[in-house]
Amino acid sequence: MAKVQVLNVAVLDNPSPFRNPFQFEITFECMEDLPEDLEWKIIYVGSAESEEYDQILDSVLVGPVPAGRHMFVFQADAPNTGLIPESDAVGVTVVLITCTYRSQEFIRIGYYVNNEYTDPELRENPPIKPDYTQLQRNILASNPRVTRFHINWEGSAERMEDSENVDPSSNSMLPPSCLPGKAPPIGILPDNSMDCL
Amino acid sequence: RLGKAPDWSTHRKPIFSVDIHPDGTKFATGGQGEDSGKVMIWNMAPVLREEDEKNEDVHKMLCQMDNHLACVNCVRWSNNGLYLASGGDDKLVMVWKRAAFIGPSTVFGSSSKLANVEQWRCVTILRNHTGDVMDVAWSPHDVWLASCSVDNTIVIWNARKFPEMVTCLRGHTGLVKGLTWDPVGKYVASQADDHSLKVWRTVDWQMEANITKPFNECGGTTHVLRLSWSPDGQYLVSAHAMNNSGPTAQIVERDGWKTNMDFVGHRKAVTVVKFNPKIFKKKQKNGSSNKPSCPYCCCAVGSKDRSLSVWLTSLKRPLVVIHDLFDKSIMDISWTLTGLGMLVCSMDGTVAYLDFSLDELGDPLSEEEKNSIHQNIYGKSMAITNTEAQLSTTIIENPEMLKYQQQRQTSTQTNSAPGTVGPESSAPKLNSVMNGESLEDIRKNLLKKQVETRTADGRRRITPLCIAQLDTGDFSPALFNSVPILPSGSSMSNQLTPHLSSDSSPGQPSSLGFRPSHDPMLTSPPANSLKTYLSNSGPGGQIRPFRIEPIKALDSRFTERSKATPGLTSSSTPAQKECKLKEDTSSDSEDKMASINKNLMYSKRKPELMIDGGEVVEKRKKGRPRKEKMTTSMVQSFTQVSMEPSVFLEVENEVTVVAGSKLSQLRCSKDGRDWNTLLPSSVVTAAGSSDLIAVASEDRMLSVFSSCGRRLLPAIQLATPVSALHCTAHFVMVVTAGATLSVWDVQKQKALVRNESLQSILSDTSVSQSLLTQQGVPVVGLSNGKSFCFSSSLETWSLIADKADSLVQCADFRGCLSSHDAPVSSGPLAVMQGRYLNAGRLASRLSSTPHHMQQSMTLAFLENQLASALTLQSGQEYRYWLLIYSRFLVNEGSEHRLRELCKELLGPVHTSATTSWEPTTVGFRKRELLREVLPVIGENLRFQRLFTEYQDQLELLRNK
Repeated sequence: MAKVQVLNVAVLDNPSPFRNPFQFEITFECMEDLPEDLEWKIIYVGSAESEEYDQILDSVLVGPVPAGRHMFVFQADAPNTGLIPESDAVGVTVVLITCTYRSQEFIRIGYYVNNEYTDPELRENPPIKPDYTQLQRNILASNPRVTRFHINWEGSAERMEDSENVDPSSNSMLPPSCLPGKAPPIGILPDNSMDCL
Repeated sequence: RLGKAPDWSTHRKPIFSVDIHPDGTKFATGGQGEDSGKVMIWNMAPVLREEDEKNEDVHKMLCQMDNHLACVNCVRWSNNGLYLASGGDDKLVMVWKRAAFIGPSTVFGSSSKLANVEQWRCVTILRNHTGDVMDVAWSPHDVWLASCSVDNTIVIWNARKFPEMVTCLRGHTGLVKGLTWDPVGKYVASQADDHSLKVWRTVDWQMEANITKPFNECGGTTHVLRLSWSPDGQYLVSAHAMNNSGPTAQIVERDGWKTNMDFVGHRKAVTVVKFNPKIFKKKQKNGSSNKPSCPYCCCAVGSKDRSLSVWLTSLKRPLVVIHDLFDKSIMDISWTLTGLGMLVCSMDGTVAYLDFSLDELGDPLSEEEKNSIHQNIYGKSMAITNTEAQLSTTIIENPEMLKYQQQRQTSTQTNSAPGTVGPESSAPKLNSVMNGESLEDIRKNLLKKQVETRTADGRRRITPLCIAQLDTGDFSPALFNSVPILPSGSSMSNQLTPHLSSDSSPGQPSSLGFRPSHDPMLTSPPANSLKTYLSNSGPGGQIRPFRIEPIKALDSRFTERSKATPGLTSSSTPAQKECKLKEDTSSDSEDKMASINKNLMYSKRKPELMIDGGEVVEKRKKGRPRKEKMTTSMVQSFTQVSMEPSVFLEVENEVTVVAGSKLSQLRCSKDGRDWNTLLPSSVVTAAGSSDLIAVASEDRMLSVFSSCGRRLLPAIQLATPVSALHCTAHFVMVVTAGATLSVWDVQKQKALVRNESLQSILSDTSVSQSLLTQQGVPVVGLSNGKSFCFSSSLETWSLIADKADSLVQCADFRGCLSSHDAPVSSGPLAVMQGRYLNAGRLASRLSSTPHHMQQSMTLAFLENQLASALTLQSGQEYRYWLLIYSRFLVNEGSEHRLRELCKELLGPVHTSATTSWEPTTVGFRKRELLREVLPVIGENLRFQRLFTEYQDQLELLRNK
């Protein structure tokens, strides 16, 4: 069974200007002392069209992790706007938080992110070249999508290949209607996990 | 009526196990989840009462645990209700405990908004099985947890010290699919696909019985074989058995494991049998005759044929049979502790609840009445703990008592969760860090406060802030009393609302109970009200047609087997014999070794001291001197093993000196210092201690020297030649060929025992062993296995050990052995009793011995030991047995004896000239001993008055 359970992720500083760093306050619980660190990553999906625009905003080691309930704030800089296709700057995309133990990913938490201009003027007539200073990032914090994978928590032996997802809400999530534009297909996800997206 | 399926579970999964919590407020189910095993805990109230079922504010589901990687085959609550054990196809047994102080929470990211109302946390994972775990069972009083598996083994876990394994029972040659404990705790029984039911003893974890006959025709076709033991302990009922090609549930009698009866009528294999925890007696109706009826048991049988039958052992036909209750096989049954309600689960993913009335089942016996039945049959082992349970509500009156009780509790608690010792120890530190700071404050500053470092390769590393320890599952209340935990950002409220309001959301599972409208034609069967409660599928209720059929449907009878041969194979008997034989030989040699160790000289002389003194003397006169003469200048060297620095004595007889006269030379070397002395006559035997050396010569003279070779006594003339000579400390003991025994205290130059005749204890036997204790008490072991010591104060021989004594063989006091006290193996009592003191080894074989007999035997044995140790003046042994004895008295609840013991140890509080009380015994101050005994008494709340009484008096005396 999984030794680490994520109990909660609170999205801090949300909504916020596009260039503000991401801040996630993560609460997790560990069944027994972990001999190795956990590695957390924040991945920003730059474009729905292709994985190649994914940016790893930051990765951080978390440890030592004794048995118990722990929390930390994971802060990462905003994405490099230069790497985002201009056509995808405004609209809905996704930010992912992943955690790996001994290089095996055991949980993936996804959030929809809506980037839009706060100024109604700009909303009506968006500039061709996105003005990131005017963009507001709104993470749909109330609707995290959690995918869990079974991994081998013990040090030795073979790695468990049959990543098994435990998506607790396999069919209920609809793209939020308030968000305009297209919901990007998220290519980096395993086929069997967040297929409802 | 079809309910709306909850969004977290779109289709039904099989439910393999169900168990009702001992307090009757909740129940657990285990089975297949989406991609994992699933354990769920449900509220019982909506099952019991329709109004609660309809009330949306009443939680239906309390907690779900997805931690098992594969299907959960069994869930069982501990008898105290604190723990839940689950076993699954992932080869694991998990033990769960409720974590208090945590409010409702969702599974993070779960959009189902289903809150876990209660938090149950895995406190131990038990890993040993190499295959699917099929069944788990807690022993009475939660001493052990047994689990069985398709790896053909049964593992017994120490439930007070998880994850410690007590033993692994091997012997099944097929998948083990069911377990049940004898309610008295003497046996555990298992049923497997190898066509056998085996009964194992808990005393030595060996097989007691192997029952195969009723299972010969069985195929391995059932998923589980859940057998059950009747609450009175008299019957064991198996799952799937066959009789004349028909599926049955075999009744196995405890008495001789006879298999003459069975429950017949199911069309397919029986998967589960479950006895009602209550024993019933016939309801006394007004006007009916008042003759007392025999108490009986009630048993539910579930089968692959999807039907359920309920039997009373007083009736030849089933009380009720319910067909087509489910779409698929019945998998598990659980009774409420009241005995009037029952949950049944099925492969089809549903659970049904049945309740019975007293009219149908009879009057349940009270716990006292049940105890008295147990007591009549087995003695009081059950009663004690049951009264202990009652005692749990007793008010502790004495702070010292409270201390002992708390110590005991904490020690059991820490034992129960050993993996968490680490965090617990650091808990105080953590609390001080968090002191006065609410979680809210912590969260505000978390980003600034958290420790971030760079690793060698330049990566960021954050040390997470520990906000709660994982001890036995209880989180610090200080942290969580500010529920709900609201985030600093407003966005969180968004996230929280749905789950807080989830109870009223339409998707909430609500069990769809229904009460059967009784068909007017069906008046004969008991009017069971019946509801179905849907478990893993939540509210996805389907109502299936069902009917309660008249009893005739099942051809029910207690059948007499045509050939009443018990299915007991005899295989265990030869094995036992062989084992016994082996023991005998091995310990024989041990015995020899022991006697050799005692005195190297001795084994040679053993046969020579016969009862018929005259003859012996003859023999000696002729034999011994001749032999020694022939071997002129024979050098004999003796080593005395018991002496601290090794001392070597060397005797050279018939050393020719001047003028042809012959002398004997005695040489002694100790620590490299040598001395020697000459004796006029040749030496027959010699012995030494750290203080002195004694030498007996052919002319029946006994000489005693100090360790430096100084003669301490003039030569003592003995009446007959020496047969055995011992020195211990400053005592010398001589056993002569004339069958007399003398002991001298060389220091005081005084005789302790003067020419005491052995005739009174020798009758057609010979002396096989003799020794002298450190206190100068002579001990003689005879060839008939009896050992005597001579008490100089009583001036009589006292029996201290009898190897043929059946008390020794039957006494079972292992439960009273304390781990702190290493058994005294070197004392004279232990030496004389040797291997025969193997507590309860034989007791287990005498399984027919009723408990109260065994208890009395143990008591008698322990009192013998105490008295013997006292007579031997063996202080350490006395203390050792005193503690065992008092623990035994405490366990068995013998208050009078305890009180007398305490009184004796305490003595008169107010001294007067007339008191003859001795403040010390065998080198111990009696009141110090009492101080050691009191904590033992304090362990049983029942004796708190006694404890207080003596504690106070001790205090009083101390202050004086």
